[in-house]
Amino acid sequence: MGDLLSGFADALTPGNLLWAFVGVTIGTAVGVLPGIGPALTVALLLPVTFRLEPAAALIMFAGIYYGGMYGGSTTSILLNTPGESASVATALEGNKMARAGRGAAALATAALGSFVAGTIGTIALSAAAPLVADIAVNFGPPEYVALMAVAFVTVSALLGPSLLKGAAGLVIGATIGLVGIDTQTGQTRLSFGLPSLFDGIDVVIVVVALFALGETFAHLIAGTGASRVEPLRGQPMLSREDFRRSWPAWLRGTALGFPIGSLPAGGADVPTFLSYSIEKRLSKRPEQFGRGAIEGVAGPEAANNAAAAGVLVPLLTIGLPTSATAAVILTAFQSYGLQPGPQLFSESGDLVWALIASLYIGNVLLLVLNLPLAKVWVRLLGIPAYGIYAGVLVFACLGAFAAGGTIADLIVLTVLGLLGLLMREAGVPVAPAVVGLILAPLAEQQLRRALALSEGDWSTLVSSPLTVALWILVVLALVAPPLLSWRRRRVSQTLEETSTTH
Amino acid sequence: MTDIEEGRPLPETPEVAHREARAAGALGVLMVVAAVVVLVDAARLRDSDEALGPAAAPTLLGVLLGLIGGALAFQSRHFLRTPERPHRRLWRLAALVAGLVAFALLLPIMGYVVSSAGLFTGAALLLGAPHPARVAAYGWTLAVIVFLVFDVLIGLSLPTGPWGF
Amino acid sequence: MRYTWRPAAAGPFVAAAVATLLLIASLVWGGDDDAGFLNGRQLRLMAPAAPGGGWDQTAREMQAALRGEVGRTEVYNVAGAGGTIGLSQFVRHDGDATQLMVMGLVMVGAIKSNDSPVALDQTTPLARLLTDYEVIVVPADSPVKGMSDLVAAMKDDVGKVSWAGGSAGGIEQILAGLVADAVGADPAEVNYVAHSGGGEALSTLLSGRATAGVSGVSELVGQIKAGTIRPIAVSSPQRLPNLPDVPTLKEQGVDVELANWRGVVAPPGISADDERQLEDLLVRMTRTDAWRETLERRGWSDATLTGDQFEQYLAGERRTVTDVLVKMGLA
Repeated sequence: MGDLLSGFADALTPGNLLWAFVGVTIGTAVGVLPGIGPALTVALLLPVTFRLEPAAALIMFAGIYYGGMYGGSTTSILLNTPGESASVATALEGNKMARAGRGAAALATAALGSFVAGTIGTIALSAAAPLVADIAVNFGPPEYVALMAVAFVTVSALLGPSLLKGAAGLVIGATIGLVGIDTQTGQTRLSFGLPSLFDGIDVVIVVVALFALGETFAHLIAGTGASRVEPLRGQPMLSREDFRRSWPAWLRGTALGFPIGSLPAGGADVPTFLSYSIEKRLSKRPEQFGRGAIEGVAGPEAANNAAAAGVLVPLLTIGLPTSATAAVILTAFQSYGLQPGPQLFSESGDLVWALIASLYIGNVLLLVLNLPLAKVWVRLLGIPAYGIYAGVLVFACLGAFAAGGTIADLIVLTVLGLLGLLMREAGVPVAPAVVGLILAPLAEQQLRRALALSEGDWSTLVSSPLTVALWILVVLALVAPPLLSWRRRRVSQTLEETSTTH
Repeated sequence: MTDIEEGRPLPETPEVAHREARAAGALGVLMVVAAVVVLVDAARLRDSDEALGPAAAPTLLGVLLGLIGGALAFQSRHFLRTPERPHRRLWRLAALVAGLVAFALLLPIMGYVVSSAGLFTGAALLLGAPHPARVAAYGWTLAVIVFLVFDVLIGLSLPTGPWGF
Repeated sequence: MRYTWRPAAAGPFVAAAVATLLLIASLVWGGDDDAGFLNGRQLRLMAPAAPGGGWDQTAREMQAALRGEVGRTEVYNVAGAGGTIGLSQFVRHDGDATQLMVMGLVMVGAIKSNDSPVALDQTTPLARLLTDYEVIVVPADSPVKGMSDLVAAMKDDVGKVSWAGGSAGGIEQILAGLVADAVGADPAEVNYVAHSGGGEALSTLLSGRATAGVSGVSELVGQIKAGTIRPIAVSSPQRLPNLPDVPTLKEQGVDVELANWRGVVAPPGISADDERQLEDLLVRMTRTDAWRETLERRGWSDATLTGDQFEQYLAGERRTVTDVLVKMGLA
């Protein structure tokens, strides 16, 4: 505790606060741009921090990191163009809310949810990082296979109204995920001899193509280029009702995001999908999902930012970079003189505590910046669609080019954009495609790894208590929803009966 | 009230439903074609001595693609036969796709600023922007700002033309 | 007053004019801050991999160390396929001596296993800069005490010994294959479980399901010092200064030596004079304090080698790598 306080003392100078504010602002500003996800945001902005002394650099970095993680939600909500996979779930309900004129409420619940989740995540990071890391390292390939099974059975809520069309989206995404070199054997799959496809298609490019380009193309052929959305007037940003529905979702999202983010192969996207599904299952008004349910924004957005804190657990305690973003952060820590790994706290304790204090401060500043900004962002919708989507196109191309550095990436972007348009026209939801793209390759890799390590013995999949527990969850997830809806029907029947007797 | 339980509004007009069914049919056909490509590609892979080789996942996905695509195409078989009325702004789509390809090809030659300004202007006009000159000015401004911020300030190196930007 | 997008008619044109002025200003003032070398033109350094990896780290450390020599240099990433995508783009800068690319042993292997149409003999090799040796580790509670136990297990049934390491066909798999070959086991039978990076491989090893792990020394030093994993051999010719207690493979009777070296190449067709100037520049860079400090901090070993010697070394590496990749059935 005393360590943390001295960390705050290091971080809380007026000069450092200024750097934190600058970090949050540019992190959010760059993170907002569709196509420029958190990994690229952090990678691009890191050199800016190198010119500062370590404490100031760390605090600015914390602002950039949380700002970049948060920024994606704004365009998801307002324009239905998530800049990265972890914002896809936010777009589902958030954009429906924005179209109904409730964009400010969606942005506000996202900002507050990010703050709550980021703060709880940071507390968990400072209090329990070594403990969480001990559990996380027990996750080997068989455990991941079981976790992926849990994810697959729970994300059905994302599939939308038509099961066939939802499944079509899922399979299309999974097929895109096959493209590239197979990690186990080094052979290329579905690359047709094109070197640009050897490393697979970047998730950011797929997300931007399916959502942002698909949206642009849809406006183009519908001829709705001059339309704009009118925000509702004279309403509080977040009504009491909104708040009552949001806060449990924030907490549930955090509870999913932090632990899954802490897993070496967890990432920030899986918990957002799970959170969306759980909110839909638990909601008293499931019929609102698909037309702008605020829980569907609050939960995933909290999960996203809690995972952002969770990612730092394996990074700091075992020196394991678990994602592209984490690999970039690792480089950053090393250049600030932090050597992540088991001896981090004993060797560079002061800097670690300054970092953790910075994360708290970055989080507060993010809220201070974004809550008032929600009203300003909504005005962005006052720009006619032709201006917005021409700009989206410019940034999408910039992001695609920056991610891969080749012209071929732009061609891939265009082709996938056309696929996105066709899916949209056919009523096939694009969110499941992103789920398939992320989960399927992970599940395949881990399953094959598990079987290679056990020399083909399938019983390895239930070889530890952890795997058994996860498989029980899978069974529960399959059995519980029908039971729940049956009980709900019973309850509402009894309610109706009692009300008629009165 | 069935529409609310389904979680989405009913299609407003038969026209829209018709269009959606036709698109679903086209997607279904595309998926069946993709299924064949995926299966052929999977058959070409060298097998390894793993319990699950590199071809297992593509084979499974190929079969699923074929089945789901076939089902989609089957559902909308009636609509696929009726010809599409041609004058639905599809030429705009073709023009924008051509613009994106041109952008990709011109980027290394003309540099980032000129290509992006052109892309913005072209896209906005195709989307229905009213004042070409004003849109071009906005496009130029946006491209220059992006270049200044990302290339000059942050150091992400963007392609430049013979004139240095 | 409702906000609408209808600024004064002149607004956009004023904005465009201001932007143009700023652009020209940045070109005029930004152009002349480094002078002398290559007629004052700025060096551009390609890291043919995504940010965060070994080549990217090398390129960015070079950028810092070169600041005192040539001022600002520019680093950019072209990711993909073991660096071969970057390579195929790089060779197009024919005769342009301001373009440099970081490369290394991994690229030599990737060119072979990906059947890349462009090879390294289409570049002008300048210098090898550093090596990062590999270390073979086992979980802390593993019954394997040293290489002799591992070798015995491999001779018994090579498929029962699982290796966790980086990408397929990469340096870690090459090392596993070389070890199998040296102890008389079939390299094609090695049970190698590939991961997208050293970190992921480490997490599989820590979960206790793989027999051994292979990774760059610099990636694992922290874990080794903390005692969560136990090193049993390093792939260097002599023991390493930062792991003095860990014997080499050769000491334990396994005749294998493997260095994950990294170096720099220039495009084809540059003049002999430019080539000499660039080599001098790189040698000067390796003598700077900044570079020395980098090597120590990262746990890299200095391995400066230039000119014909480097070209011969490169040819030798190509033969070794091709040989083992063919034996393992990867090329």
